[in-house]
Amino acid sequence: MSTQNGFGAAVDVQQVRKVYKRDTQEITVLDGISLQVKSGEFVALMGPSGSGKTTLLNLIAGIDRPTSGKLTVAGTDVGSLSEGQLATWRSRNIGFIFQFYNLIPVLSAVENVELPLLLTSLSKSERRNRALLALKIVGLEDRSKHYPRQLSGGQEQRVAIARAIVTDPSVLVADEPTGDLDARSAEEILSLLDTLNTEFKKTIVMVTHDPRAAERAHVQHHLEKGLLKD
Amino acid sequence: MKYLPYMLKHLRRNWIRTSTTIVGIAVCVFLFCVLRSVLAAVDYGMQSGNANRLITRHAVGLTQQIPVTYQERIRAVPGVKRVAIANWFNGFLGMPPDYRNFFANFAIDPEEYLDMHPEFVLTPDERTAFITDRRGAVVGKELADKHGWKLGSTFQLESTIPPYRVGKPFDFIVRGIYTADKVKNPGTDLTMMFFHFKYLYEATNQRVGVGTYSLQIEDPKQAPAVAKAIDALFENSDAQTKTETEAQFIAGFFALAGNLALLLNLIGTAVAFTILLVTANTMSMAVRERRKEIAVLKTLGFPSGLVMMLILGEALLIGLLGGGVGLLLGGAMIGAMPQMPMIGDLVRGFPNFGMTWPVASLGLGFALFLSLAAGLIPAVTAFRARITDMLRTV
Repeated sequence: MSTQNGFGAAVDVQQVRKVYKRDTQEITVLDGISLQVKSGEFVALMGPSGSGKTTLLNLIAGIDRPTSGKLTVAGTDVGSLSEGQLATWRSRNIGFIFQFYNLIPVLSAVENVELPLLLTSLSKSERRNRALLALKIVGLEDRSKHYPRQLSGGQEQRVAIARAIVTDPSVLVADEPTGDLDARSAEEILSLLDTLNTEFKKTIVMVTHDPRAAERAHVQHHLEKGLLKD
Repeated sequence: MKYLPYMLKHLRRNWIRTSTTIVGIAVCVFLFCVLRSVLAAVDYGMQSGNANRLITRHAVGLTQQIPVTYQERIRAVPGVKRVAIANWFNGFLGMPPDYRNFFANFAIDPEEYLDMHPEFVLTPDERTAFITDRRGAVVGKELADKHGWKLGSTFQLESTIPPYRVGKPFDFIVRGIYTADKVKNPGTDLTMMFFHFKYLYEATNQRVGVGTYSLQIEDPKQAPAVAKAIDALFENSDAQTKTETEAQFIAGFFALAGNLALLLNLIGTAVAFTILLVTANTMSMAVRERRKEIAVLKTLGFPSGLVMMLILGEALLIGLLGGGVGLLLGGAMIGAMPQMPMIGDLVRGFPNFGMTWPVASLGLGFALFLSLAAGLIPAVTAFRARITDMLRTV
């Protein structure tokens, strides 16, 4: 995995602020955060509700924009991209894993995993093969034709992970990936994330409330009221 | 095309909602095609009127008759070239009469009527045979083919008009089968039948009058002046007349239903607007349900423009399906209308009644426009929505 700045960082957050406006009120969610995530690192963001951890994750993933500060992810200054450029950048560099899986209910498992590949120039058979490979990595190739309603929570999350890795992004961001799972399924997901980090060298940034999940990470950052407490 | 399976799968997401929306659009297109076809047939029929022919009738209405003696007085009006009696007989075939088998039949002055209607093409022998046989009949080719009539075939008609009922049917023998030059005279009706007015006049003991006089004038530009002169002749008579061009006469039938074009267009517009609102609401609900999904697509890197096009694509597919169903139903209805009671009597008089390619194309285009209009606001909403806002659990 290549690193493209002086720190060898996949993610470089410099004095990032995020302020929301609600009617006439301004709400500061992130108040000058700075942190680096090295390439290949597994980082957990923790903190109480409202601390800004999900906001920070969204900024790293490029689905929100900082109010001020600089954010470099996978070698790109995310704040300098237009909306269209940001969308393209996300499709190539970011794999997002949601807490509630967010699979498309009318698509089968393999069709869900294929979704990001529709944005590429791959042929239909190439898309299908890559999707099946991603499902194999997460151990669900025998469920490729099942629909989300036919899968357990853990299986749905594994399909979501397959969807996140199918384009081979350098950075995976996970928002409470085990938040909706029982202990056993959560353990399976965390093991999978471990594998993606150690064997496939994916940089992982994970938001979690779960101390057991956080233990899997190399580094834990604690946020409180929009500031890093480490 | 690679997104087509994705769009089709979403149509099946809530198949009840999708199918009822398709049915709604189909109803709209069905109504549009049927109403436009009727209006097109009316317009086409009106074009069949000849500019140098006038019709004189009783000023009160077509159910009133004017005296036979008016013919020579009308002939004497400057500018009038020919005058022929043309009485609507309203006869039906068979004993007892078969009221389902309607066709237009008229009692005419054969020589003068045929002279002023060159669009009815007969051979010289047929024309002579018809003129010389008081019981002779001339029928249109489509009518003859329908009943298997050939020259010399016989049939009977009995009228439903009381003064024309003489206690027994009228006997006819086919002396001529007329055709038409469809290029020169495209609106010519080949389903009519003509016979001698003198046969009717004598069979009723000379008690009947004239329903209409068909006139040919020297100069079409003089039509208003000639019409005025004729009506002035009988202004102070018991049977006052109204003289108008053939096109005005035909248009008058449809004016009996009020401003037909306006009425039909208003109905069509009201239905279309209602369906538009319903479809727009349906699309909005569908997009609102898929907030998270739209957020996921954008997170995965789908550009906002592509997301918007996917939603519009789904709307277009619904429009296409609805339009197709509407066209099929409209075509079936238009095909069946001539056989329907009451409605059939009206539309069978239109020589060109049917769903044309322009009407079908307009109908389908209308369906696509309707669905695009309905899908536009939800699509734009999806385009503009922020990922983080849509990911929030509602």
